[in-house]
Amino acid sequence: MYLCTGKILRVNLTTKKVSTLNTSDYKEWLGGHGLAVALFFDLVKDKSVGAFDPGNTLVIAPSYFSGSLIPAACRTEMVGIQAQSYPYEWFSRTNVGGRFANMCKYAGFDAIVLEGAAEKPTWINIVDGDVELIDATNLWGLDTVDTQKVIFKNVIGSAGYGKWRATKKGETIQRPSVLTIGPAGENRSRLGAVITDAGNAFGQGGFGGVWGSKNLKAISVLGTGSVEVADPNELMQVRVWAEKNYGANVDNPKINAWQEFITSHFGGHPNRGWAPFDNQRRASGCTGCHLNCKPRTSSGYGNESICVDALYYQNWDLAKHGKITEITGYAADLAQRMGINSFELHTELAYLKTLYDKGVLGRGKKIDTDIPFDKMGEVEFIQQFLTQVAFRKGIGDDITEGIPRAAERWGRYKEDTESGIMAAMFWGYPVHYDTRAEVYWGYASIVGGRDINCHDFNVPAYWMPSLDIPAKKTPIVTAEQVAKWVGEMPPYYDPEMMNFATSNIYSVHMARTTAWLLHYSTFWKQTCGLCDNAFADFVNPYGPDNRGITPEGELKFFKAVTGRKISFEESLEMGRKMHNLNKAIWTLQGRHRDMETFPDYVFSVDTEGTSYVPGEPPSYYMPTKENGKWDYRNVVPRHLDKNKFEEWKTRYYELEGWDPKTGWQKAKALKELGLDKAASELKAKGKLK
Amino acid sequence: MGKDNGDNKNSGMTRRDFVKMSTTVAAALGGAAALTLPSRADAADAKAQTASPSKMFLVVDQKKCAGCMSCMLACSMVHEGSSNLSTARIQIIDDAFAEFPNDIEIAVCRQCADPACYYACPLKDKALCIDPKTGVRYINKKECIGCRKCIEACHFTPSRISFNLKYKVALKCDMCLDTPFWKQTGKQACVEVCPQNAIKFTSEQPSGHKEYNVNLRGEGWAKLGLPTD
Repeated sequence: MYLCTGKILRVNLTTKKVSTLNTSDYKEWLGGHGLAVALFFDLVKDKSVGAFDPGNTLVIAPSYFSGSLIPAACRTEMVGIQAQSYPYEWFSRTNVGGRFANMCKYAGFDAIVLEGAAEKPTWINIVDGDVELIDATNLWGLDTVDTQKVIFKNVIGSAGYGKWRATKKGETIQRPSVLTIGPAGENRSRLGAVITDAGNAFGQGGFGGVWGSKNLKAISVLGTGSVEVADPNELMQVRVWAEKNYGANVDNPKINAWQEFITSHFGGHPNRGWAPFDNQRRASGCTGCHLNCKPRTSSGYGNESICVDALYYQNWDLAKHGKITEITGYAADLAQRMGINSFELHTELAYLKTLYDKGVLGRGKKIDTDIPFDKMGEVEFIQQFLTQVAFRKGIGDDITEGIPRAAERWGRYKEDTESGIMAAMFWGYPVHYDTRAEVYWGYASIVGGRDINCHDFNVPAYWMPSLDIPAKKTPIVTAEQVAKWVGEMPPYYDPEMMNFATSNIYSVHMARTTAWLLHYSTFWKQTCGLCDNAFADFVNPYGPDNRGITPEGELKFFKAVTGRKISFEESLEMGRKMHNLNKAIWTLQGRHRDMETFPDYVFSVDTEGTSYVPGEPPSYYMPTKENGKWDYRNVVPRHLDKNKFEEWKTRYYELEGWDPKTGWQKAKALKELGLDKAASELKAKGKLK
Repeated sequence: MGKDNGDNKNSGMTRRDFVKMSTTVAAALGGAAALTLPSRADAADAKAQTASPSKMFLVVDQKKCAGCMSCMLACSMVHEGSSNLSTARIQIIDDAFAEFPNDIEIAVCRQCADPACYYACPLKDKALCIDPKTGVRYINKKECIGCRKCIEACHFTPSRISFNLKYKVALKCDMCLDTPFWKQTGKQACVEVCPQNAIKFTSEQPSGHKEYNVNLRGEGWAKLGLPTD
């Protein structure tokens, strides 16, 4: 099998038994998410286990494309029962970049299955196919950076980094790639992240806490092996074609404000928008990437930290000091050293500050804390705050459960979700793109198991018009053109998928938008491993007529590395199959249609949008069609209608071939997809229609 | 605030190169020479007469490199048919925790004027050869006996010549004169795929460390908010 090593590592942490499975037995699932969900389904007999139960099994799977020269494909997927979602611990996925995916394959494995729980702290050392479970007592309590440094020295030995060293199969000068948790994960935080290198994280899902519950501190991989592809010459030609025709030219960049936010465009370039550090000096990238979106700084603080890694404390730093100081980078690093999910911190701090301002939280207040909220923006505050969260001290013991559970402990959940001051939006995850405006984002999240975090439509549907229009600039692609391009996509061929007018947001068209997003992302991004920062690529200032590389690029890449020519429709059908296997697990966990809804404020409180241009009112510009005419129009203020949302759910379930009354799958549809095993298990549990 | 970067990585290519080169030169010329180190070019001149000069070189911008290792994946693939960090003839040494510019180093063969690897090869002109047309120093894998003498002789750390443990042959940059898995003429895979344009081909012999490590950052780079100095 091209792109595969042929072996899946299976580690039982309870018994310390190490074994392997043959990747060829899972050939149809390719790699990444497809392979991971198939393994989870087969190996976990009781899928209703809790996140911290030793029966929870985690599968870590490098993406199918990883290890090869395909750009922006060094992603690793992890699945299992998550700790973050509220009120249910849904089966979920999380994803990380960096070096791990490639190095895992070079070390000999297409996936790593982690079962059981170790009796005492353990780390796993994998070098060229050799696997060793090692006592991690000396690492327990160390932060993620120090842990990696100790493991680097352990694996590299006396030769030192940057010198040739022999393994049993080859020679290398490279460091191992290490996944590790920090103190937050050790203390079973639902905000616990798994970190690799300086700023790459399995962030969402609270899987760091799950690792902690398994006494698993770290996994190190080092390999000298190869990844074979069907046609190296073709892959080289395609890579160069993609870079030269769709990639950014860093020596003559085209500057648009929305390119400062590298979300799903292949022509993204290094920039200061996502990495706001004044002392940024270099752009760095994951293995094989062409985007290189991560910063390196002259101080080292903030290295590899982008978006919320920096943003979560940036505005507090700015408010306190009138400028972004080195504290932003320090805070970014500290969260990652502790192994805490920065995304949740971002919204969490705003909520806690609101409670502080209301006089509810603070020293001697109802929610009593010695964390100095009057010093937000300073080092002193963030040190105390993150330490309490990571080590479950003071109110950190509540916050580390995630804000919805903390609010519940404080007796505030109902009040604060009705008012919307606690901006949890989908399964307790913080608001990301607001479902009251960018509806498909919330829809895909709520029929899934987490903040969907798929930016595929996000450039034309939000960033480009919402930054350009208030700034009196004309977007480089019209709303009508965007709709036309999306309308050329199988299987729906429906331009109305891009119509975000209020009259269209509960329609079958928006059900198609949601389904397309889920099927595309599951196959191309989470399984093949194309990075969400680069794909899907609809609008691209470097492409012909400003059009992106999707779907031509994806299909060319697939053909070069596998030798198989597939149609785009086939790829989306594979994504649909994988999504259906996710769905079967959720149903086996107890999911029912009635559970899939948003907090009250989504149905009663308007979102106002954001003001990006000083003096301009907040807005949220999206493609809409009104009176037969396409344009980018401001869709806010807006909130969702609960009854109409329920009607949308019916349309979505019917589109997926699911029972609209329960949201459960149907035997016939699962059989057609080749998911007979899932159908049998659902039937045995009485959850198949 | 000070940043703790205390791991076992050496401080930088420049210093490492210099230290090893100095040691080599000092050993060759006697202890006294260590006090007045000759330049790299001077050392090269002493032996240049025995090796015809190369007309093909790679120069790199260490400050522009993103550490993405695309060059390594491409290099190994076009030469060996599969991506492999260990068989890449160009190596990236990346420390994500270090401060710029000490975080990334590009280790690339310099096609030296005094090719110590060439002199050290017991099968000189059969295994380690000089292309008569281009002057490129390359390894004929069919003749290589895997003695490692070229690896040990290389002036630099890490050695710019790697070793394929499976086939017991040395691997070295050949400026992509022979890419059995990539149909092309006159291009270098690393140059073609580098998204940062941080590797550049030149036919002019760089005369020293500074000329191999060039500044390829211009106005466009500055527009991205990144330094050009």
